[in-house]
Amino acid sequence: MTRWRLAWRNLARNRRRSLLSGSVIAFGFAAMALAGGFMLQSFSGLKDTAIKSGLGHLQFADARAFDGSEDTTLEYGLSRAAALAAQLGRDPAVAVVMPRVEFFGLVTAGARSIPFMGVGVEPDAERRGSHIPGTVERGEWLAAGGRGAVLGGGLADSLKVGVGDVITLLATTPDGTLNAVDATVAGIAAVSVKELSERYLAIPLTLAQELLDAEDRVSRVSVLLRPDSQEAATGARLLAALGGDYPEMTVRRWDELAVFYGQVKRLYLGIFGFMGGVLVVVVFLATVNTTLMSVTERTREIGTLRAIGARRRPLVAGFLAEGVLLGLVGCGLGALLALGISLGLNASGIVMPPPPGFTRGAPIHIEIEPLAYAVAAAAMLVTLLLASYFPARRAARAPIVESLTHV
Amino acid sequence: MTQQAIVSGRGLSRQYRLGASTVPALRDVDIDILRGDFVALQGPSGSGKTTLINLLGLLDHPDAGSVMVGGADAESLSDDERADLRRDRFGFVFQTFNLVPVLSAAENVAYPMSLKGLDGRGARKRATELLAAVGIADKAGVRPDLLSGGQRQRVAIARALANEPGIVFADEPTANLDSRTADAILDLMQALNESRGVAFVIATHDPRVVARARRVVALHDGQILEPAA
Repeated sequence: MTRWRLAWRNLARNRRRSLLSGSVIAFGFAAMALAGGFMLQSFSGLKDTAIKSGLGHLQFADARAFDGSEDTTLEYGLSRAAALAAQLGRDPAVAVVMPRVEFFGLVTAGARSIPFMGVGVEPDAERRGSHIPGTVERGEWLAAGGRGAVLGGGLADSLKVGVGDVITLLATTPDGTLNAVDATVAGIAAVSVKELSERYLAIPLTLAQELLDAEDRVSRVSVLLRPDSQEAATGARLLAALGGDYPEMTVRRWDELAVFYGQVKRLYLGIFGFMGGVLVVVVFLATVNTTLMSVTERTREIGTLRAIGARRRPLVAGFLAEGVLLGLVGCGLGALLALGISLGLNASGIVMPPPPGFTRGAPIHIEIEPLAYAVAAAAMLVTLLLASYFPARRAARAPIVESLTHV
Repeated sequence: MTQQAIVSGRGLSRQYRLGASTVPALRDVDIDILRGDFVALQGPSGSGKTTLINLLGLLDHPDAGSVMVGGADAESLSDDERADLRRDRFGFVFQTFNLVPVLSAAENVAYPMSLKGLDGRGARKRATELLAAVGIADKAGVRPDLLSGGQRQRVAIARALANEPGIVFADEPTANLDSRTADAILDLMQALNESRGVAFVIATHDPRVVARARRVVALHDGQILEPAA
């Protein structure tokens, strides 16, 4: 009779109780796996959003520009930007190079003037490396070398302009001169963050350089890497190769720059960690109660087994085996439950309300994440081992005579 | 301890707490259990029979005195060493049979052998032989709840003999049995004692046990009334 067969029979001894404990574990597992799947899916989505919002996997810029110590636009911009972009683009790990100019100014349409946060981009590179062109819901994305502009929906509404209207952009050049250019509204983008939507404006890089009187200069160069590229190693390699020509330039990874991603990740980890902790405590209390009852009922049996020569440790191991078996069965049922709920919710088309500061919600989607399932299973098994260990240890340490006379 | 003694008790005392008061269960008892002995511990309830069996069988610790097993003072042994001694040298038969309900008769008998490390096939073979020796070979695959009281006690005796002990301690083994079954169980114990040389120490109220015993130790208020042989 192996320990596992004996454990299985002991579980079958009180089917209703084992079923109840198994159900608690199954629900605990499913809740953790679903929450974990939702969390990991959110991290993955946020990461993708952050990278495709123009950050890229890597950004090259002057170290002082990264530190935010620029007083005027392009004060620490990179010169010879075209050559830099071409050199970066030749690296086999690089998929897309996106040079960008970031600036502030005033946009005027008729009698209305509103401040904006502008970005000058390579329209074709952005189309391949960012999701911004895809957010244009009216009109179209920018054309290379053109004089079009894409406005956030909020900004277009405030200016009361539509596609095809002419706007005037005013900005201060790096040497402090005020300059202006005319542009035509090419498209209006659905920017999900409300405050950004009211200030967002994108124009072709060449038009931005004309407005800022900064030929061949950019604020930074974003780089999208090919799949499976090592971000840190590639960044270091590229910087080493280019550092001689651009001594003030440095490189940052996307996760060093995506402040929002880091904040949301910490918040989610806090919320789901707390939830997981509560679940573990609930499962622990439910199963420890069951184990305690089971151990108490078998006190005389434990005394008998000790009397006929069983050592304490194998007796405790027997109860742990019961916990593990119960945990495995519960986790198996919980995995089926989590899979069913995930598939059901993903097919339901339910749209989640927009997060604070965002203008649009997204359909609920719970990824079936092996990592979440593994963590849930580990949490349940460890909880059950602890819930089995303490009552079993207590029973195995009780005096034999006391156990034999237990009623 | 004499040459032939398998287990000896010297100056054994044991007392129990009952609320605020202390009740002496055994007082300064000396006893030797010899190879092939068939001893009845006789006395009224509370005379100390079970306490003496518990101490000699290493199920409990004396407050004073010592139990010698194979020349060694059992009080100097660790808990695991005492468990190993019980497994290898002692067998136990209880009034309420104390079989493991989820194991079949054969599995109950094989359990102490598995504790000793005997492989499954060897343990099953020997369990079947022992069940045959106690007359219930046909019940090998049956679980205890489907056996009669007498059959259960036979399984318990077979289990007690599993690791070929030198001594079997039986606490009121016939108390839960009808008189015919009790006689049959006593016949079996006597036959095993004679054929295998296994010593039996039986705590009992039952005059039939006393009548069959080769040696009777009478206890009263925790003391032996007649000197142990």
